[in-house]
This record gives sequence, structure tokens and C-alpha cells, in this order.
Amino acid sequence: MKKLLVVFCLLGSLSGCASLVSEITSQMADNLATTILNSSDIDTVREGVPAYLLLVDSFLRGSPDEVNLLLAASSLNGSYSIFTEPDRSKMLNQKALDYAMRAMCLSKVQLCDLQSISFAEFENRIGGLAVKDLRVAYALGVAWAGWVQASSDDWNAIGQLGRVKSLMEKVVELDETWEGGGPHLYMGGLETLLPASLGGRPEKGKIHFERSLEISDDKYLMTRVIYAQQYARLAFNKELHDRLLREVIAADPVVDGMTLINKMAQARAAELLAESDEYF
Amino acid sequence: MQKIICLLCSFLLFASCVNAKTYKVATISPDGLGWMKQFRASVKQVHELTDGRVKFKIYAASTMGDDTTVLRKMRIGQLHGGVVAAGSLTRFYKDLQVYNLPLTFKSFEEVDYVRERMDARIIEGLGTGGMDSFHLTETGFAYLLSTNPVRTVEDIRKLKAWVPDGDPIAAELLKSFGVSPIPLSIPDVLPGLQAGIINAVAVPPMVALALQWHNHVEYMLDLPLIYVYSMLAMDGKSMSSMETEDKALTKGFLNGVFRKVDAENRADNEKALLALKAQGIKIIQPVQLEAWESIARKSIENLVQSGGISADIVDTFQQHLIDFRSSSAE
Repeated sequence: MKKLLVVFCLLGSLSGCASLVSEITSQMADNLATTILNSSDIDTVREGVPAYLLLVDSFLRGSPDEVNLLLAASSLNGSYSIFTEPDRSKMLNQKALDYAMRAMCLSKVQLCDLQSISFAEFENRIGGLAVKDLRVAYALGVAWAGWVQASSDDWNAIGQLGRVKSLMEKVVELDETWEGGGPHLYMGGLETLLPASLGGRPEKGKIHFERSLEISDDKYLMTRVIYAQQYARLAFNKELHDRLLREVIAADPVVDGMTLINKMAQARAAELLAESDEYF
Repeated sequence: MQKIICLLCSFLLFASCVNAKTYKVATISPDGLGWMKQFRASVKQVHELTDGRVKFKIYAASTMGDDTTVLRKMRIGQLHGGVVAAGSLTRFYKDLQVYNLPLTFKSFEEVDYVRERMDARIIEGLGTGGMDSFHLTETGFAYLLSTNPVRTVEDIRKLKAWVPDGDPIAAELLKSFGVSPIPLSIPDVLPGLQAGIINAVAVPPMVALALQWHNHVEYMLDLPLIYVYSMLAMDGKSMSSMETEDKALTKGFLNGVFRKVDAENRADNEKALLALKAQGIKIIQPVQLEAWESIARKSIENLVQSGGISADIVDTFQQHLIDFRSSSAE
């Protein structure tokens, strides 16, 4: 197969060859992400993924403008950051954001420089996104939110939260069911960052969490964990908080494409539940 | 023998339980902020070091309401303390507004010089008024952020400027500059800026960024308008029931936390100012500074004459500034 590929490449144009290799490496990165997400062994993933981060980086060296590969690399770096210490997490999320920004810029030239243009101009350009841009737009929203969270001591990052929210709102508008209701989950998180007295909109956040649960058929357990941690605590609703977390702990974590995150959600739910009496 | 030990243990446990008290403290700050993490960690240490006699329960993110509600709940004994803006405590000690007087401080060096000499007086004044307060914590200098460039007093008069709802002193201050202030509650400020109901706010840089107000303004006037600060204030009666040693330990620990937060907030505002510039906010230098200062002086005189603040504390404050400026000039 490898030999055949080389021959094919020699016969084809240089760019065609690069594109084929990129397609294969993108496919490999996608398969890797799927395997990781289906794993129920958190420790193996934590220890095994760094080697693949290097591998994907090396693929990108060969095909720096391949959008699929950039998105896969962004997702892998961002996802792996949850296993790391704050400084490393910051670095990995910066990489994830840079890759996603590059992918966005390559797929639509007017969506370059999204961090430096004025907010009014940003909103204007985001307003032009269409359904065909969803995949890149959502990936950028996820990477951007992860970067802000990892850089919460950086005022420049905090100041970009409004842009992340604006982008995710647009994704919800284009297709609220994207990635199993992921955009609603992010909107839920963003609306419940601040209490209502400081301009947060916890009740809007609650509606987003509920809609995300509905779309994902209640299978993505992390939604309930974030719903409890962000909304139920902000609303000072212990009954809801504890109920959501108990449901997470009692649920079957094995769901195609969600097993790893579901296992992590159960571990986090147990931690939050243990703190409940202290908080409320 | 084992029975005796068990009995002894039960007595000891009982004895420590008798004196145990939970102090309920609330704040509008969201959980998860750096200072909240430090505060939570340090009250845990206090709990351990006092063998469980002093326990704090913290209600973050306005779960007990805004500053006014927190103070009302303290009055009826539902809460014992709050981390609140200094301005909300004027009825316990009106002179604490001395740091909030407009256009008085010109630099952080001046702030440090004056605070070193006057913080104790403010804490003592609050104590007399019934509030046991901890180390004062800087929120920062409030700067004017607007959609149109403001350089002169005439420019500011054209603004639709926000004033916090229920803050008559801030409203009077703006009026003294010839501005008709538009009172809004904090949650209404962002929609107000988006809709053009207001086009100017005066807040420290980190507040503007945290609440995303900076996205709807273009200019910042490089003139520190007002120095803003906050503090942990505990109901004096509640604190007086604490054993002397426990009180000393609690005060030592928590003062240490708020001293650290005080310094960190300054560094954060400096970084936030850079972030504002990085995100395209244009910094404008004021012109005809004397006109700005003259109106500010007049508004301070009016506040003294109306009995809003004592002439004595204003004189002391001004004298410290004169001393600092003359020693700096040498």
C-alpha cells in the first residue's frame, strides 16, 4: 500500500500528492481522536497521547495549510490539555487556538485576524458565516473557549470572551444540533460565568444546558456536570446540583464517541458532590 | 482504660463543639476568581488552626444578593460579614469616602503614601460604627471609557454617562461636571452600551474587561478619576464573640490574604490596561487639566458642606498629598 502510494505520488502532481498524504494523515488523526474518545482507560490516554501530539505536529510540518489536519491537531491539543498542569495546559490551548485560527483564515480570508479587529468589525464578519462554515467555526469556538479558560489570569484572554460568545451564538443560529448540541453546552457555560447581578444570564444558560441535554439524548454526561457546577451553584439550588451529579454517577458511561469524557465526567461529579455541603 | 479514653475524648470533643461558630460571609464576586480561591484556602486553614472553633462559610456570586442586601442580612443576623465595595459602608463611617474623592490621587505612589498613613483611621472609624473590617483592598482607579473621544470638560458634557443605580454621590459628582447621568443597574450597562442608551462608563480597566464593556467603547481618558476599594467587613458583635486568640489568628490570616489581593489587583489593573490597548482602545490625554481639577475641588467642597464627609478627614488627606508631593519634588 505504501509503495503504491509512493508510485501514485510520483505519477501525480506534487500538490496532488501532498493533498493525498494530507487526506490520509487527516483520516489517521480523526481515527486517533475517535479511538481516544471511545477509550474507557483515562490513564492510558493520559500517558499515550503526547506521542501522537508530536506525530500530528510532524504531519502539519508537511502540510501546514491542510484545514482538516489543522482542525484535528487543534482538537487533539485542546482535549489533551485537560490532563495537564496549568502552565502546560496554557501552552497546549494556545497551540489549539493557533491551529483553529489558521484553519478559519484558510477557509475564509475575511475571517483572518479575528483577535485584533474591532469588536464591531468582528461581529460584522461573524454575521457572514454560513452553514458550510460550521465545522471550522465550531472548532474555533471550542479552541477559543478552551484558550480563555486556560489563560484565565491573562486579561487579554478574558477580554476576548465576548468574541467567543458571539461566535458560538452564530453557530447555534446556524445549526443548534451541531456536534450533539455542543454549541448549546458552550453557550450554557458562557451565560453562567457571571451572576445576574454582574450581567450574567444564568436563566438563559439553563435553557441552553437543557437544550443540549435534549439534543444529545442525555448521553453526554459532562453536560450535566457543567450544568450543576455552573448553573445550579450560581442559582444556589442544592437539590438540582446534587440530583444532576447523582444522575451522572449512576449513568452508563459507555457511549460511542463519548466514553472517555463520560468517565471523566463521573470522576468530576463525585468531586463536586463531595463539596456540596460545604458550598450550599 | 479504653472506656476512660473514649469518655475523655467525648468530653474534649464536646468542649470544642461548645465554642464552635460558623461565620457566614457573602460577596458578589464569582467563585473561581484568584482571590476567591485564596480566601477559601485561608478560611480552611483558620478552621484547622483553631481546632474547628472558627468556621467560615462563603456565599459567592451574589447568591445572597448585592452589597446592600448583604448588609441588610448582616443587620438581621442572617449573615456575619461581606466582601463589599467601600462605598456601600458609608452609613457605618461616612469618612471612608475620602479615598473616593474625585481627581485627588495622581499616581499609585500617592495612593501608597496616603494609605500607609490613613488606612488604620478608616478601619478604626468603621469599628466605631460597628463594622470589624480587614485589610483594605484596592479595586483600582476608575477611568472614563467612551464611544467618543473626551479631552475637555466640554467634551464630557456631551456624553450619555452611566452612573450606578442608587448611588447619589456619584450622580452628584457627574452633575458637578455638567453631565446628566443615566442611572442603570450593573446588568443593564452592557445592553445600555449596545443600544446606545449610554455611551460612557467610568470603571477600573479590569472591571471593564471582566464585564465585556470594553467591546462597546473606543476611547479611554488617561486621567484617574476616582480610587475604588473594597474590604471584608464583619459585623462587630459577631466578631466580639470570638475568643481573643482565635480572633488574632483569624485576623492575621485573613489580613494576609487581603494584603496580597490588594497588591495583585494593582498588577492586574496594569495588565488589564495593556489588554485594553491591545484590543484597540485608544488612550487619550486630557487637556485643560486645571478646568477638570477646579470642578473636582468644588464638588469636594460641596460634599463637605452638605455633611457627606468631615472637613477634618479631607484636610488630613490633602495634607498628606501636599507632604508627599513636596518630598517628591525635593
